Amino acid sequence: MLAAVVAAQRGQFMAIAKAWLAAGATAFSIWADNTKLASWPKDINLDQPEMRATIEMNGADIGELHVHGYNNPASQTILNAEAGLVSRLARMEKEIKGMTARLIDTQDQLLAVYDLTEATRNHIDMSDLLRQLAFKTTQLGGTEGAFFLIQNPQNGSSRIEHFPHPLIDDEYIHHCLSRVRDSGQEILINLRDTDYAKVGLQNLLFVPIRVQDEINAALGLINKRDGDFLSPDTKLARVIAAHAGSRIEHLMLYQESLEQTKLQVEADLAQRVQLNLLPKSSPNIKGLDLWAGSRPASQVGGDFYDFVSPQDRPFTFAVGDVSGKGMPAALLMAMTRTVMRTKINISPNPTPELILRNCNAELYDDFTEVSMFATAFIGQYHPQKRLLLYANAGHSPVIYCPTDGDPILLEADGTALGVLPVSLAEDQCLTFKKGDVLVVATDGFNEANNSDDDLFGYSRLMRVVKHLSNKSAKRIVEGLYEAISNFSVGQPQSDDQTLVVIKGM
Amino acid sequence: MEIKSHFHGQVAIINLAGRFDAYSAPQVSDHLEKLLNQTPPQIVVNLEEVVFVDSTALATLVQAMKRCRQLEGDLRLAHLKQPVRMIFELTRLDRAFEIFPDETEAADAFQPAEA
Repeated sequence: MLAAVVAAQRGQFMAIAKAWLAAGATAFSIWADNTKLASWPKDINLDQPEMRATIEMNGADIGELHVHGYNNPASQTILNAEAGLVSRLARMEKEIKGMTARLIDTQDQLLAVYDLTEATRNHIDMSDLLRQLAFKTTQLGGTEGAFFLIQNPQNGSSRIEHFPHPLIDDEYIHHCLSRVRDSGQEILINLRDTDYAKVGLQNLLFVPIRVQDEINAALGLINKRDGDFLSPDTKLARVIAAHAGSRIEHLMLYQESLEQTKLQVEADLAQRVQLNLLPKSSPNIKGLDLWAGSRPASQVGGDFYDFVSPQDRPFTFAVGDVSGKGMPAALLMAMTRTVMRTKINISPNPTPELILRNCNAELYDDFTEVSMFATAFIGQYHPQKRLLLYANAGHSPVIYCPTDGDPILLEADGTALGVLPVSLAEDQCLTFKKGDVLVVATDGFNEANNSDDDLFGYSRLMRVVKHLSNKSAKRIVEGLYEAISNFSVGQPQSDDQTLVVIKGM
Repeated sequence: MEIKSHFHGQVAIINLAGRFDAYSAPQVSDHLEKLLNQTPPQIVVNLEEVVFVDSTALATLVQAMKRCRQLEGDLRLAHLKQPVRMIFELTRLDRAFEIFPDETEAADAFQPAEA
């Protein structure tokens, strides 16, 4: 250390030496470990010095200043002060060296991180990212191989990617992860005492990685190429671990937001499919006042209604609800509607019972395949006799409110389409006089809930229908929507709310 | 939703408690899925403690019942209370499922599976 100080500050030492020579000394020299570091004049045989002063650093002697051929008690004080200054210089030199070493370390780490960042920038697949990280870690760490492990805290499933190929088996890696989980500190494992020694593996540096504040990942560096893992290797591994943690977290967030965007796009699409398939207007049917409405929930369900007026055949309408939500429900609803339309238009004598039976026969396998079903109500109006023929496959609520009586709930006799291989629904008949009202709604009405988690329910629905029954079909539809909106104010709409209202004119 | 299950002979009995709706249906579905591995699957779902079922819950039960029947087994229901019974009646799923007053009766009604 002192030699470095002397070399770096040679000019200053020479100035001090010259002062001593001018004062009458024969020589001035600097010593460390009984070895002369420098003397003025340069090549002179030195006797025992007349004055000497010790150079100290942190309480230890690191050298001496010698003055030859001159002795003076006052000058000894000066020599001591000079030795003190040299001590201080030596201490500062040491600090600078330390700082330089740290700077170089940091520089190396920055370069490594830069390299790692560049290499992993465009990876949007977790396995790709982990593989690339393992590859770069092997390069940067100067090891034979590396691996990255990531564990899903929810279900405990894990993924391990190795470079260049698996050197350590998964079970051992999981064992290491459980060892570092509590301490959060890296561990250096000597593999020379394990079975891995047989395949030439000597050491493993296992570093935990924090992902979302938990240790759910780790990296392993296997077999340092030029010996053992030392302190700079550990530091580098920590830097890589920190960077990898943030990349993994970043990718997880990206994947999560991608998933949400996909869901949103799907929900929007489902809603468009659903709304576009509903009739744009109500048909004019002699003797009937007719209105319909549908309010899709944010997560669209599979509600539908349809009006079909085939030439020379009675007006037929349908209301249905496909189980489930989102795109699958919207697609199944589209399919059900198409099949139903075809049966109404093409069957020779399509009574509601027959339509439901044929629909069930055609849709049963598909519904079974995707584990869904659809409730359906089909009504058919025969104006000459003022008769409403209907069949109901598990659909509710259907409310009939005769002009001169109380509303009644028309219960289904068949199960929903797709539940059983055969349709159990049979044709039923209602006389439909002037003022009689039929409300065919979906369960989004009776299952609408308020902030106390009470359901709107059937009785309330029937009371509102009775109350509105002297109004037009359009006003009844509007009034029912108002009633459930007021009831479930502030609550998110959890299911589609669809209804068709028919009134005798 | 609370889900408990036990075996009565070879019949798996699942006791559900609470609201059986779109939120809890996946949990029930997972549970039922595991029971479909036994051949033939013979399952009784006891709905005594269930206070509410929605259409997703019904779809879950229908799906499992159909799977059981495909595999020559069945899924039966027991102990339906109002208003759950009313939902089954209104949707006429009472015609699709075999429904029993209690779980033991439902389980005993299964023919013992051949060894």
